[in-house]
Amino acid sequence: MNYLLRHVQVLLATLGQMTRAPLATLLTLIVIGITLALPSGLFVMLDNLERVSTGWDQGAQASLYLKRDVTEAAASKLARQIRAMPAVAGVDYISREAALAEFRKLSGFGTALNALDGNPLPAVLVVRLAVADDPAAVAPLMKTLAGLPGVDLAQLDIEWLQRLAALLKLAERAVAMLAVLLSLAVLLIIGNTIRLAVVNRQTEIEIIQLVGGTPGFVRRPFLYSGLLQGLLGGLLAWLLVEASLLLLSGPARELAGLYGSNFALTGLGADQGLFLALAGALLGWIGSRLAVGWQLRQIALR
Amino acid sequence: MIQLSHVSKRYLSGPSDYVALRDVSFTVAKGEMVFVTGHSGAGKSTLLRLLARIERPTRGHLLVHNKNLVRLPNWRVPYYRRELGVVFQDNKLLTDRSVFDNVALPLVASGVAQRDIPKRVRAALDMVGLLDKEKLHPIVLSGGEQQRVGIARALVNRPPLLLADEPTGNLDMQLSDSIFDLFHDFNRHGVTVLIVTHDLRQVERLGKRVLTLKAGEVVRDTGLVG
Repeated sequence: MNYLLRHVQVLLATLGQMTRAPLATLLTLIVIGITLALPSGLFVMLDNLERVSTGWDQGAQASLYLKRDVTEAAASKLARQIRAMPAVAGVDYISREAALAEFRKLSGFGTALNALDGNPLPAVLVVRLAVADDPAAVAPLMKTLAGLPGVDLAQLDIEWLQRLAALLKLAERAVAMLAVLLSLAVLLIIGNTIRLAVVNRQTEIEIIQLVGGTPGFVRRPFLYSGLLQGLLGGLLAWLLVEASLLLLSGPARELAGLYGSNFALTGLGADQGLFLALAGALLGWIGSRLAVGWQLRQIALR
Repeated sequence: MIQLSHVSKRYLSGPSDYVALRDVSFTVAKGEMVFVTGHSGAGKSTLLRLLARIERPTRGHLLVHNKNLVRLPNWRVPYYRRELGVVFQDNKLLTDRSVFDNVALPLVASGVAQRDIPKRVRAALDMVGLLDKEKLHPIVLSGGEQQRVGIARALVNRPPLLLADEPTGNLDMQLSDSIFDLFHDFNRHGVTVLIVTHDLRQVERLGKRVLTLKAGEVVRDTGLVG
């Protein structure tokens, strides 16, 4: 209990010290915040991109555009035939009228379509593939589908999605590398701040050591200082990311609206935000631990 | 209380090494009061640094309080120092803290329970006659008062051994008298006191045992006196 109380006292004293030099504290926190916000912000953007593309990606699918003379009855017979294939997960029939209605809704060319006489769109069988992950199985299936009577054109729409996914994976890796580098930067920023603090309080440290303070006691306020800086810097980074998203959410919604989607940007959320803050705290603790250890050895050597 | 046998301390500085203490042996009994005098460079400060376990002797044995300081591992040093009060010439007070906080520092550092601290700090301040100055900062105090704060800090842990390094080096005669009387008083209450000083007037006035160092060797030891 006494031990816990002493830790709380050190924590409060450290907070007090930080508020006594508000400008220096604020500057350090902003630097840490921006440094942590950069990879977090990129991560959030990638996350959103991925969410957009998974909306399209749900089971790779092929569109079979039917010849215009295929009747509705023939089309549903064809659909049954395809559904029976083992490599097919499901088939949806989109009639010419339904296709037109959807196109009218999504494209924004409604009035232009009214000018046309008749419906220019073909009926479509949307085939959901059960073997989308396996390119070797997809190719022969597509050949079979294209060869069916009544099918005008069979089109597989997953290639560019696969490329996008690969691109996102690459970007994710790059952001992860950036995150590691910038974490190192935060470690060094906090480490250097703490190192300077140790130098400034050298006399105090020497006196504490002479009156029987253990190394742990000497280190404690600096560790709390680093921990707090990291924690507050992490929270600031969270705030920065959320604020940027707030600024972007309006234009993003507008853009999504143009595509007939109700997609909205999502931020870090509480769990990831807290993770960011805790990661900052951990970096701060490690940074100050290294700096204090190093600087105390320098003092001891003299 | 203190037992030195054939203690030498050698500093390696470049090609020529410098011998600060050469084969020093003496014993200080519990409850004794001893003055260590000598010219600067005679090894007085080195002796104190060895006793406070800031450094280890190069050779010989050094026992304080039945603890062998040569073998004392680093992690035990803080605990050893808690049984030791040290007063410095420049008093080494923290200027950004109040008198109370300065005196409380050894208690806080050694993890004394919070509720016991005010009582013990005030007891120590009372001993040096500064009870009414606890809220002030050391800067506004006179040199003599600052040194008393340093003494209160050295005593607040109630150490059985008090070491002082030129405690009146910066003070005038009258203040020096009062400081030395204070040490004498503690000694009468059972604290073993070792004072490094070249204030021979005080040495003569109090008539205690005197050890004189010269070039790292004990050249005179008056032995136990009254």
